Amino acid sequence: MTEMTAKVERVWTGGCACGGVRYEITTQPSPISFCHCGQCRRQHSHVGAYTTFPRDALRVVKDETLTWYRSSERARRGFCSRCGAGLFWEADGGPNVDVTAGSLDEPTGLRADRHIWIDFKEDYYDLPDDGLLRRASTEPDNETKTES
Amino acid sequence: MIGNEIVIGNGTVGGTAMLPGGCLCGGVRFLATERPMGVVNCHCGQCRRFHGHVGAYITVPRDTVFFDADATLAWYRSSAKAERGFCSRCGSSLFWKGDGNPLVDIAAGSLDQPTGLATLRHIHVADKGDYYDIDDVVERFPAEAPEPP
Repeated sequence: MTEMTAKVERVWTGGCACGGVRYEITTQPSPISFCHCGQCRRQHSHVGAYTTFPRDALRVVKDETLTWYRSSERARRGFCSRCGAGLFWEADGGPNVDVTAGSLDEPTGLRADRHIWIDFKEDYYDLPDDGLLRRASTEPDNETKTES
Repeated sequence: MIGNEIVIGNGTVGGTAMLPGGCLCGGVRFLATERPMGVVNCHCGQCRRFHGHVGAYITVPRDTVFFDADATLAWYRSSAKAERGFCSRCGSSLFWKGDGNPLVDIAAGSLDQPTGLATLRHIHVADKGDYYDIDDVVERFPAEAPEPP
């Protein structure tokens, strides 16, 4: 058995609430990061939760209701135009794509490993004493990270 | 919040009186004129799909919410008894309303800061996702919380 075949252990699947968007992930996704930035908070209307992995490992198998919104000069967010589910975050020209943890089919087998952009956290909740890494927007490791 | 308290109707309300809010792109803007008890985190599978993670909601009477902009507001029938409202341009997940219910749930992250609110409880924790634990001291309920007395 070669190293390459040994690495492919499973395919992760997910999608929106209505089934208009379905996807598969053909590589090991990163641990989940909780993003407290203002854009995640507005779009998800609470904390964002994302995994990341190389873009070519995302296969969108159904996209009839997938819509993209340019959320900043350097990134766009994908959601379902029929049920409103938040699905993707993608930086222009970047090698990776981020997928919302809540859109993954259970069990995900993934775990959260960090809170990022905690300096933008809203006032109606406290960060739990969960032992996860915490990073402000100005600190290193403030992005969702693939395991390396 | 000290020094910024006002009295509305029959009760003292802490913090800013009204709660303005809206979506990421500004296509939906609203004003909630009645302050809720606080924020409830919902871990149900529908909320996690809709929000991409846990839902966090305040609950207020529908007739106390006023829209400044609703051109991009869309509704999706998410179950036999409820609809969810979102922005069709930027995808922000905003509202939950049960059929025939005089109340509406507004997603807390859509509110402008500061809200002066606190998180009250977790509900539907029996359905929570496997990728996180609930590590705070806020009260938890396996499904719905009992009605307040």
